[in-house]
Amino acid sequence: MKIVFALFLAIFFVALAVNSGIANESGGESDAVEASVDTGETAEEEEKSVPFEVVEYRNFFGIDGRLLVWIVSQLHLMFAAFVLAVPLFVVIIEMIGAKTNQIKFDNLAYELTKLLSTAFATTAALGGLLAFALYGCYPGFMRYMTDVFHPYMYVYALCFFGEVFFLYAYYYSWNLLNKGMGKWVHIFLGVMLNVFGTTLMMLANSWATFMMAPAGIDMKTGAILSRSAAFFNFLWMPVNIHRIIANVAFGGFVVGAYAAVKFMGAKTEEDKAHYDWMGYIGNFIGLAAFIPLPFAGYYLGREIYSASPVMGNIMMGGAFSWTFIIQAILIGMLFVGGNYYLWNGMGRIKGAERYTPYIKYINIVIFFCFAVWLTPHNLPLSGEERALIGEQYHPFSKFFGVMAAKNAVVNLLILSTFFSFLLYKRANKGETKPFKSHGNTARVTMIITVGLTVMYLIWYAMGLKGQDLDAAVKPYLSPLLKCITIQIIALIGALFLTFANKGKLAQTLLFVVTVSISVVYFWYYGFVVMEKANMVLRFLSVTQVSIVISTLIVNTVIDVFLFKDAKEVGGIQWGKIPNRAQYALLLLCVAIVTLMGLMGFIRSGLRMNWHIYGYMQDKSAGAFTPSIAYMGWVVSLIVFLFLFMVAAVFWLAGLAGKKKSV
Amino acid sequence: MAKNKNSYSMIMVIVSVLIVFAIIKVIAPYVFMILLAKDHTMPTPSTLLLWYMVLAVLASLVYVSTSDLKWANFLSFILPAGDDKFKALFQKMMVIAFPLLVGWFVYSGTVPGTASPVELRIQHPTLLQEFEKLENPFANADEATKRKCIEEGKHLYQQNCRPCHGSKADGNGPFANAFRLRPINFTDPGTIATVVENFAFWRIKEGGPGLPAVSTPWDSAMPAWKDVLTDTQIWKIIMGEYVTAGVQSRQREEMEH
Repeated sequence: MKIVFALFLAIFFVALAVNSGIANESGGESDAVEASVDTGETAEEEEKSVPFEVVEYRNFFGIDGRLLVWIVSQLHLMFAAFVLAVPLFVVIIEMIGAKTNQIKFDNLAYELTKLLSTAFATTAALGGLLAFALYGCYPGFMRYMTDVFHPYMYVYALCFFGEVFFLYAYYYSWNLLNKGMGKWVHIFLGVMLNVFGTTLMMLANSWATFMMAPAGIDMKTGAILSRSAAFFNFLWMPVNIHRIIANVAFGGFVVGAYAAVKFMGAKTEEDKAHYDWMGYIGNFIGLAAFIPLPFAGYYLGREIYSASPVMGNIMMGGAFSWTFIIQAILIGMLFVGGNYYLWNGMGRIKGAERYTPYIKYINIVIFFCFAVWLTPHNLPLSGEERALIGEQYHPFSKFFGVMAAKNAVVNLLILSTFFSFLLYKRANKGETKPFKSHGNTARVTMIITVGLTVMYLIWYAMGLKGQDLDAAVKPYLSPLLKCITIQIIALIGALFLTFANKGKLAQTLLFVVTVSISVVYFWYYGFVVMEKANMVLRFLSVTQVSIVISTLIVNTVIDVFLFKDAKEVGGIQWGKIPNRAQYALLLLCVAIVTLMGLMGFIRSGLRMNWHIYGYMQDKSAGAFTPSIAYMGWVVSLIVFLFLFMVAAVFWLAGLAGKKKSV
Repeated sequence: MAKNKNSYSMIMVIVSVLIVFAIIKVIAPYVFMILLAKDHTMPTPSTLLLWYMVLAVLASLVYVSTSDLKWANFLSFILPAGDDKFKALFQKMMVIAFPLLVGWFVYSGTVPGTASPVELRIQHPTLLQEFEKLENPFANADEATKRKCIEEGKHLYQQNCRPCHGSKADGNGPFANAFRLRPINFTDPGTIATVVENFAFWRIKEGGPGLPAVSTPWDSAMPAWKDVLTDTQIWKIIMGEYVTAGVQSRQREEMEH
């Protein structure tokens, strides 16, 4: 029944997508060819003599070329994200295993690499399909892109070769290079795999970002002035940073879902324990990478605004603003799901009862933030409501819908999730050792950590002071400088408190100061700045983020030393976690895949009917900005296809292991 | 399953959700009536009410399922246990009430009514490409010229825009009440302060008729001023309008190369 239902669903989605995506091939050339076919059999010879004409656009067997490229490129991107991210953390896991001599880390790294090798072939196949689809459906556009980027395309192919070589070398040499120096040679192979994988992604990113913010060409004639300028275009680095972080979050959550499925199907206690632990690691990686993701997203968004106010405007306030409400719901689900998994996980730790009363408060804070996070500035209103309210904006949306509020709540969400992590980490820890007992290494690490964060804050404050702003606006920077000063004092205070064996107090101090400044005060001050000096708003956001990040970093290091060699209370009973938590892991996977599909649509769609923004227009019949409903169908289809394909790939990867065990 | 036969966590959840509902639906409209000095209540939009209630239910369910014990306590109210008469009555009520509640939602969602549909409006329509690269001709003028332009702009604003947008640019002009969608309050930092000057230039020049066909309805009664005002006059109005409203336009960020 399940298979029949799955098939029905697949056919249903495909039928919908095909129906709504059918478009005529554009350009007179294709019409001419079709007309010549209609002349009948007698004209066969004449038909042969029709001179060759260059086609600008083609469709794919009746399906709009744009739809095909959209689906294939998004699927390729998702698989590529997985094969890029997994090696990043596999090598780290392997290093932890080598350092601590714990075989379970090594086994986990090997299991993930096994998934990687099968997923890699699918990524490559989809990449090939994407290239054929692009050259087949958009020959005119691809001719130009090849002219601009052909030298980099060869480098891409070489990097691909390098990635394949190091992936298989890494995978097949696992047992061969398993001891002593050999292990570190093996880790080196893994590092090289990451170097090639990341370079590959960055090469492909330049083509996508060039389409959004073209550089190095004459915007009127298209003449190529500088290939390197086209490559290092304005949005290239923001997208690189955003994608690397997002890919790690994505990889972590996909691994978490894999572990959840395995956990629920496990027959033995040993397997249950293993997959429970694997799920925890997946969730940890996913959430750890997800925490800085909103900051990277903000940076990318800000740079899109800089590249083009038109693109920025439709992204946040225009046609794409409603997709950001969907994004808010998905991000809220990720925060709730991640925390929910941790809270359920505390049930398998004896001693966690000391901390469970905090859960209700964190839960209230998270859902409050979720509510503010998804409240749109411009609410959907009925005529009657609009008449009664009598204004453009309702008081709720007025204060919840703008960036000042969104920034405040997303920082609070991050701080709350981090707090959940701290509670989870210390659930199994009892009596701690004094900080002094950890020796000079602890002191030096603390001094370096606080020193670096303080130096960063000073560097940023100096930059703020040196801003060349209007005399009427400049005074509005001074509260930001004061807040940075308070945070620096708090960081130094936390250092001294930690040295005086009052680590918990130091952590509390940092939390209190950061929440007071970055959430409460900046929420209020954001409105003041918006009204009086909106130029300062962008500096306020960065100050807010910098303060939060400095607290996260210093609090993590304090926590490591606070609970180093602490007595265990009752141990963690791996495998004793309810299935509810595993469904949360599955939810996290579906949410991040949907988020990736949605954000891919937004990033690419911002160009509207341009292939290369401001230079080359898309004149094909499919060059329209999709409605939210149409986008919803296509993104859902992509999510379904990806999950189906990734499940098949994982199943295939598992077959080899099964045969061995028989 | 239920260790604690007298757990009332389900009742507490239901009461909590009802309290949230009462706050959003009943109390908030009165609070905003007082805060905003209106002579009528300020209703919470139905969309927002629905979203917040979904979140409240979700938050409650998340909380009661964070441990096996809490989940068992929560379910113990509807699972058969003991001879608690109150509990037995509640079970029956739940069995009857739940389908009724679902039925009520389905009925109220589908019954034909006279209410106008909820509109999904986009705040900022897409600025046309040809307006993106425009620059205010007085942007780099000396201070004296700028001041003169601002004064002229304020004068032009009062002549042409005041009837709708008000003398203080707060959307309270003498004609304001005649529109279904009131003219925009420029002093609200969420309006003209969030767009670059070019955007304001486009909106004034092309008005409601120049709005793109996608993502309608816009419901804008703004006339197209291109037939009445020159481009220079429009730029001056923009300068005067921002000063009158006491806000600044969105500033472009520097491109690094």
